[in-house]
Amino acid sequence: MIELVRGASGRSRFGLIALISILVLFALLLFAPPDGNERAQLWQFVGRFHPLSVHLPIALLIIVPLFEFAGRNRFSYLLPAVDFLLGLAVCAAIAAAYLGWSLGRSGAYSGPLITQHMWGGAFVACAAWACWFLREHPNPQVRRSYLFVLVASVALVSFTGYRGGQLSQGEAHLTEFMPEPLAGILGVGASGDPPANSPNGGPNTFYGARVQPVFSRQCVTCHGRSKHKSNLRLDSYEAALRGGKHGAVIKAGDPKTSELFHRITLPSSDDDFMPADKKRPVSAADVKLIEMWIASGASGTIAADAIKDVPTTSTPVVAEVTFKEIDLDAVAKERGSLAQQVAEIQKRFPNVLDYESRGSADLVVNAAWMGPKFGDAELAALAPVNERIVLADFSSTGITDKSANAIAAMKHVRTLRLMHTKISDSTLQAIRSLDQLETVSLFGTNITPTGLANLTQLHKLQRIYAGGQKVAATSPVPAELKDKLVF
Amino acid sequence: MADKNNPYRGLRAEQTFAQLQSQTRRHFLQTLGGGLGSMFLGSMVSFQPATAANVERDIDGEPRLDFRRDPRSPLSALPPQFAARAKRVIYLHMAGAPSQLELFEYKPELVKLDGQDCPQSLLAGKRFAFITGVPKLMGPQYPFHQTGESGHWISDRLPHLEKHLDELCFIKSMRTDQFNHAPAQLLVQTGNARLGYPSLGSWVVYGLGTENQNLPGFIVLISGGNIPDGGKQLWGTGFLPSVYQGVQCRSHGEPVLYLKSPKGVSVSERRNVLNAIDELNQQHYAEFGNPETVTRIAQYEMSFRMQMDATDAMDIHKEPEAVRARYGSKVGEGSFANNCLVARRLAERGVRFIQLYHWGWDSHGSNAGDSLNFGFVKRCAEVDQPIAALLSDLKERGMLDDTLIVWGGEFGRTSMRENRSGQVTKFTGRDHHPGAFTIWMAGGGVKPGMTHGQTDDLGYEIVKDPVEVRDLHATMLYLLGFDHRRLNYSFQGLDQKLTSVKPARVVAEVVA
Repeated sequence: MIELVRGASGRSRFGLIALISILVLFALLLFAPPDGNERAQLWQFVGRFHPLSVHLPIALLIIVPLFEFAGRNRFSYLLPAVDFLLGLAVCAAIAAAYLGWSLGRSGAYSGPLITQHMWGGAFVACAAWACWFLREHPNPQVRRSYLFVLVASVALVSFTGYRGGQLSQGEAHLTEFMPEPLAGILGVGASGDPPANSPNGGPNTFYGARVQPVFSRQCVTCHGRSKHKSNLRLDSYEAALRGGKHGAVIKAGDPKTSELFHRITLPSSDDDFMPADKKRPVSAADVKLIEMWIASGASGTIAADAIKDVPTTSTPVVAEVTFKEIDLDAVAKERGSLAQQVAEIQKRFPNVLDYESRGSADLVVNAAWMGPKFGDAELAALAPVNERIVLADFSSTGITDKSANAIAAMKHVRTLRLMHTKISDSTLQAIRSLDQLETVSLFGTNITPTGLANLTQLHKLQRIYAGGQKVAATSPVPAELKDKLVF
Repeated sequence: MADKNNPYRGLRAEQTFAQLQSQTRRHFLQTLGGGLGSMFLGSMVSFQPATAANVERDIDGEPRLDFRRDPRSPLSALPPQFAARAKRVIYLHMAGAPSQLELFEYKPELVKLDGQDCPQSLLAGKRFAFITGVPKLMGPQYPFHQTGESGHWISDRLPHLEKHLDELCFIKSMRTDQFNHAPAQLLVQTGNARLGYPSLGSWVVYGLGTENQNLPGFIVLISGGNIPDGGKQLWGTGFLPSVYQGVQCRSHGEPVLYLKSPKGVSVSERRNVLNAIDELNQQHYAEFGNPETVTRIAQYEMSFRMQMDATDAMDIHKEPEAVRARYGSKVGEGSFANNCLVARRLAERGVRFIQLYHWGWDSHGSNAGDSLNFGFVKRCAEVDQPIAALLSDLKERGMLDDTLIVWGGEFGRTSMRENRSGQVTKFTGRDHHPGAFTIWMAGGGVKPGMTHGQTDDLGYEIVKDPVEVRDLHATMLYLLGFDHRRLNYSFQGLDQKLTSVKPARVVAEVVA
């Protein structure tokens, strides 16, 4: 073969080397396809250049027909460049395909998407080579097929590119945000796998009603349609029973030797524990359910109620706590001119006024720790920011009924604490307009059941702490307030 | 202060003179270093508020939360990362590890198996502090009953707390990897079984500061006749700046020793002394720029302010007789009851983290004092009424809404009777058991009347929803308004955090 290459002329030598590269590529794809295993990081590193390099052959294969078309009359000076462009496209396509193989082989890919993309890429390299070969062929008969192959190349490169996009951006990356009417016309929309024409796993079977939901909730992100780690899919009965690269994961009738059951019952610290990567473990009830299903023969057709004493998925699914990132610019904008006033008050009374949180423009006041040193005059100083206060604690401070109107101006306050102060019923009369109020503490103040009647119109009010002095559990208070009073 | 009014101005002259003498090469180099320190401090004092553009990022590329403060007031309050459910914490640590099987964990199966040999399957591969050979299983030593709307089971040892059962949120599947007191207590209180890590309270005060600058933000009160095995490191500050450490107050007599001015020294004289010391410190700071000097100035100032406020806060004489009776508190005792009452007074005064330790729950049964039949009974009686009174007091004031109460020990106790050196003792007891224990929380945004997690029929192994200590910490920080991964402090090249390096989960199930 080396002799053959050496003996050829410049152009043929290029063609031969390219052809050999393509053949080697095909051999690699046939005998070492991506199989869902992760391999050496060096290969992954090399493979990561695939997305980078892949756009060059795409562009080249699209610009060639443009040149051919434009060169037909006005821009004929473009035509001599086409041969060079095609040669370049061959090199670029081959290089991109090798890099792609490196990524697919080492990066734990497998599944129909990657297979189609991979062969698409290989055939693009072939097609580019064929274009290059045919366009300059001495025989005009043969040369005629060039146009046909060129059209095929463009179609092929589009298909491969689309599959590649699906791999990196998600399967619906093009149609996801398509406007509704257009999607309707084109007939794309929510679609998954078409319902399998199979008697197994129907909605009334035990598998379909009880087992598949567990798999769908906890397994299919890694073992589903788009990703099948270890070649295992758990998105249908057939796939689950087929198993993965280590063989079957479910042994009908024997949960103890079923790999699937074994993995979900390992201690969560075990490397083999599933779901991996600290995802939420399968709940005890669901483990029991899967155990009973496998023990009963792992059937896909038995009725949903065929197995007795199955635990109901008892744990109500509680959403995991998530933390949202604080958008500092948005917060600064929301606080706006308020920030200046807040800073001034903070300077005057340190540690009394602050934002409810780092991501909020709402304010909280805690004057309780200042005791009698905080009185009506100090409370009046909060006036510029009154409307942003959502929690105000004036417990044990020196405030009196004179502050009633100032408190009533805190329109958005949700929690108000006035315990152990000198306020009386007249303050309650003033705050009857605080319709955002949820909790109010009046413990140890001089308020009376009559004064409390002012609060009956506050619909958001949930809890009133009014004990300690004149109000007790037995006091005659309006019926609306009965279950809101806490003692 | 004008110089001529300062009675200590002589000291200043002396210091200046001493300084002139000490201008050496070494001094020059020191000053050079101090210059760098000053620059560091300068950046601390006049920091810009963080914006999306200038925010610092941590090792994961996440924006770092800014906990810098003016060094003159290192404890000043900062808003939480997110709107908080709890504003303060009262942590009731039962040092020695109370038996869950005699209080909250009712296991009817264990009643049936009482006195039988423990099956080998429970012993294989396990390490015990004292149990050897084959111990006998032991049923609950006190009768249990089910009560309240939530239907919790509880033994007859806590008749007062029982009335609050519907307000408590139990985690019955706590587990730890430490089976000796000191490391287990360290793990619970600092997130790490080894010395040198900041305590829960230190982290909280570092993150949130405290509103009342006249009292420490983190106060520790001790009862039960002994300090816990983990020692003062349990409220230590580790690598965090030392101002965030817990201040242990005495529960009778003077709350903090040497806080009062000595006899014959008036407040104004004391003030003068402090002014002079301040001035010296400030000179020293101007020269060397060491931020710890400023901290020191702040500490002097705080102790002066504390002379008034701490004494008042700790003075339970000021409570009405009826309230003291509710706690079962007797003035002058260093009792848990008095500490609970003080805890409420501190909470009202804005103290951020109040830590109560009650010692003596280590019911091995090796003598009457640490047996389930005697010592345990006494311990239960000591804490039952005060905890119930604390819950009542906070509830009727509306403070339970944003005060998080946590009750628990450092591990659990075995389902087997302890057989120290293979012998059956006169008294009954159980050995240390890290595999499963029970804690409860109340108030501060937790779900009342709830039980999370489950152990097997013997109360020995967790069968559902295990909760690690770091998960509990993550949950507490969440209730206080923090993502536990973001409350961090750079030290030794790591963004150190309470929950350490293993992944922790906020127990979403217990959050109301």
